[in-house]
Parts: sequence; C-alpha cells; structure tokens
Amino acid sequence: MGILFTRMLSSIFGNKEARILVLGLDNAGKTTILYRLQMGEVVSTIPTIGFNVETVQYNNIKFQVWDLGGQTSIRPYWRCYFPNTQAIIYVVDSSDTDRLVTAKEEFHAILEEEELKGAVVLIYANKQDLPGALDDAAITESLELHKIKSRQWAIFKTSAIKGEGIFEGLDWLSNTLRSGSG
Amino acid sequence: MSNGTTPTRASRANLRKLKDLLHKSENRICADCGAPEPKWASSNIGVFICLKCSGVHRSLGTHISKVLSVTLDDWSDEEIESMVEVGGNSYANSIYEAFLPSGLSKPSPDSSNEERSKFIRSKYELQEFLKPSLRIVSSKSSFSSFRSCDSVRDVDFDALNTEGMVEFMGILKAKVIKGTNMAVRDMLSSDPYVVLTLGKQKVQTTVVQSNLNPVWNEELKLSVPESYGTLKLEVYDHDMLSSDDLMGEAEIDLQPMIESAMAFGDPDLLSDMQIGKWLKSADNALIDDSTVHVIDGKIKQEISLKLQNVESGEMFLEMEWIPLMQ
Repeated sequence: MGILFTRMLSSIFGNKEARILVLGLDNAGKTTILYRLQMGEVVSTIPTIGFNVETVQYNNIKFQVWDLGGQTSIRPYWRCYFPNTQAIIYVVDSSDTDRLVTAKEEFHAILEEEELKGAVVLIYANKQDLPGALDDAAITESLELHKIKSRQWAIFKTSAIKGEGIFEGLDWLSNTLRSGSG
Repeated sequence: MSNGTTPTRASRANLRKLKDLLHKSENRICADCGAPEPKWASSNIGVFICLKCSGVHRSLGTHISKVLSVTLDDWSDEEIESMVEVGGNSYANSIYEAFLPSGLSKPSPDSSNEERSKFIRSKYELQEFLKPSLRIVSSKSSFSSFRSCDSVRDVDFDALNTEGMVEFMGILKAKVIKGTNMAVRDMLSSDPYVVLTLGKQKVQTTVVQSNLNPVWNEELKLSVPESYGTLKLEVYDHDMLSSDDLMGEAEIDLQPMIESAMAFGDPDLLSDMQIGKWLKSADNALIDDSTVHVIDGKIKQEISLKLQNVESGEMFLEMEWIPLMQ
C-alpha cells in the first residue's frame, strides 16, 4: 500500500519538469530574480551578456530557469531558446517609466512567436522597493495585458531585493502548469 | 514599433560623436574605479564606466543612473547629446568628486564589490562629495531613497555569483541548402530532415517528402556561447509510425570561421576577401577545403560534407557568422 501510494503520488505530482525563460529589458532584474529563486538570496549582478541557467526545485516541479541577457543587441538571441518552453517570466522595472513602451513592444513581440504559443506567462512588476514604482494595475495597463488572447497569464508585484512576491508568482506558475497538463 | 513615444535610434553623426567621446583619453578609464577601456555609460550622469561598476549603477535604480552599453544598446539622440553636454569623465568627476575626503581612496579595478558599491552610492546617490553648497539641496531629494535602500546595504555582497553566466560570442546563421544521393530508409525513398545541435541547442529543418536529393534552402539560427564545441549535423528519415532513422551525420568545426573573424575585427570595415580556411583532412567530413570569406561586410563560409556512418549522401550548407561586438 505504502509503495503503491507513493508511486501513484509521484506519477501525479512528482518528476514534473518545466523549462522557463526569464525575459525582459536590460536591468529589469532578471538575474537577481533567478538567484533569488535558486538560492533565496540577493546577489550582486553585472549585466548578462549571454545567459544564466539554473535548476529550481519547487512545489514538486523541477524548473529549468533560463535567464537571458536583455541588452538591445542581445534580444535577437532570445529566439534561439524558444522551443520547448512551458512558461515565460517577463520582468519589468516598474520604476523605469520612460521605457515602459519599449517593454510593452518587446512583450507583445514575444507573444506573437509561434514557438511560444503554448507557454503561460507570468509577469513580475519588479522593483516595487524603488521610489516612483508603478503598481500591478498600472503595469497591467502599460503593457496592455488585456490584449492577451487564449493564454493563461498573471501579474505579481515583486521586489527581488526584498524577496517579496517572487514565490507567490512561482506558486501560481506551478499550479497553472500542473493543472494544464493534468 | 512606430509608436511616437518609443525612442528612435540616434543619427549616424551622433553615434560618431559618442564614439569620439569614448575614445578621448580621459574616458579610457572607468570614472569610478579606473579600470581600462570602459564600454558602459550612465547616460544621465554622463560618465563612462566599466562592466563591474555598471552593475552597481544599475542597482541604484534608473531615477539615479541610467546605464547603457556603448556597444550593445541602441542610443537615442537625446541620450548622446546629454553625454556630449557633460563632456566626459573629467568634467563629471570635477563635480561629483569635488570634495573627496582626504582619507578616502577611490576603488581600484580589483576592489571588492562591497567597496565599489559603497563608493558609488556615496558619490551619486548620497552625493557626499559635491561642493557643500550643492550638497544640501541634493541630500534632501535623495534622503528617502537612501532610507529605502538600507536593506540593500545589508546584503552579503561576497555572495557574488556570476559563475553561472555563459557569454554569447555571436549568432550563427546556418543555411541548409540541399542534400544529394541520400540513403534509402523507406521502401524506395526517404523523407529527410536535418538537425543541427550545438551544446544544448537543437534546431531542425522541415521534412522533405520522399526525395533522395532534397532541397531545403532553410536558414537556421543558433546562438554561440564563449566555449562552443563542434556543430553536429544529423540527417533523419521521418517515419509516421516508428522512430526516425538516421541517414548520416557530420561534424562542423566552427573554429576556423570564428577565430579568423575575431582576428580580422569588424567585417563592416573590410573589403571582400578570404580570411580563413577549414582544411579537408582524413579526420573530418569535408568534401573540399572550405574557405571563410568576407562578402559585403558579412562573414560567410560554404561547406560541403560527406555524410558519415551511412552508405551515401552529401550535404551542402552556407554559414554566416554575426559576431557580438563588445
């Protein structure tokens, strides 16, 4: 009974793997979020001229998290990583209001990609600790999230530095991924 | 992309001005730590800084410092004009370091992140080294952000973790042109497709139905990390019912193209010429020597391969290398 029960459980919940891309403009906080997820700590970062990849075990899901550099000339490289992606975490610097239009354009360009059709989208309205940061409602409006069609998405207010909102978002992601493929 | 509020790319004349400013001797060392050849800038403060200091500037928030890469980012005319207006590191430092306390030394290129971070915050966020008359005004405005950043200061900066970063060197465009004399894997023919693998990346062409001389003319893109290996090419026969059968494979050495491109520098500045060669040998699958050329400012290489571990088959590709200039 014991063994059988564990087996059943693991077949339902266990050993699930998900490939996740963390995308967003440069200096949105992607790398800080990656290491907050992986180590639970704040690390000091330098601009990512390439990618970082780490495995994060959470809620019985093994997430392979790819953090891709956000500088203008590195964004074309994102496409090389689109195949077989279950989820996108899109990170926005909520205090950098000058560049919200650019953030919106990049975001909607990603959603148009054929290879990401099945990916669910989690948006982090990051840097809530900085003065002048817009809240989740204002970011929802700026990014025109109402235009998202036939795709599951959610937005969370986060501060990677303070560790707020990050795991709440990951909870949503793990529940959504689990219910999506039963 | 035509939204009026999106910053448009700077004019060529302005980009020239930015490069000229960067090449002035005073800007060839980082404004904060003195590291040589900085390639980053704070466009609102007007200083050129190194990669490590750019990391600290970014952590201050864009209300204090807007960080851009001179080589990797698109600049707007306004951003360049504000850099030109400040006039470079010497002038900016004559303001921000006007009253550097005598006991305090600036960080050096090898300083710890903690030391670097402390100095940069004092210099720009708290503006502690301004002329005293300027200081009173600015300290008021930055007081609130200083308080809210207290938590940042307690962070263990020694936990610096950049080991995981894999840097890009460029994009490889591989145009899979055609195959000839392919092996038969079904009754009379095969349904071939090509898979290219580089490290963990895998890209593939579409399937050509029952054809032993398939033509694809498909362009596949791969990102090339700093420590790249060989590019693996495999041809498979697509089967509806069973798993796909191998129709041969070959390895492509990317080193001749990438290294010759690095040796010759910016291809935009080169006229059409041969810059390198991958030689046919007993150890590789080449049918002929494969030369690397610059054509119209692009780095290209044509490759013809004899497929290995199969009865017959040749593959023809044209590769293009787009280096990421840093």
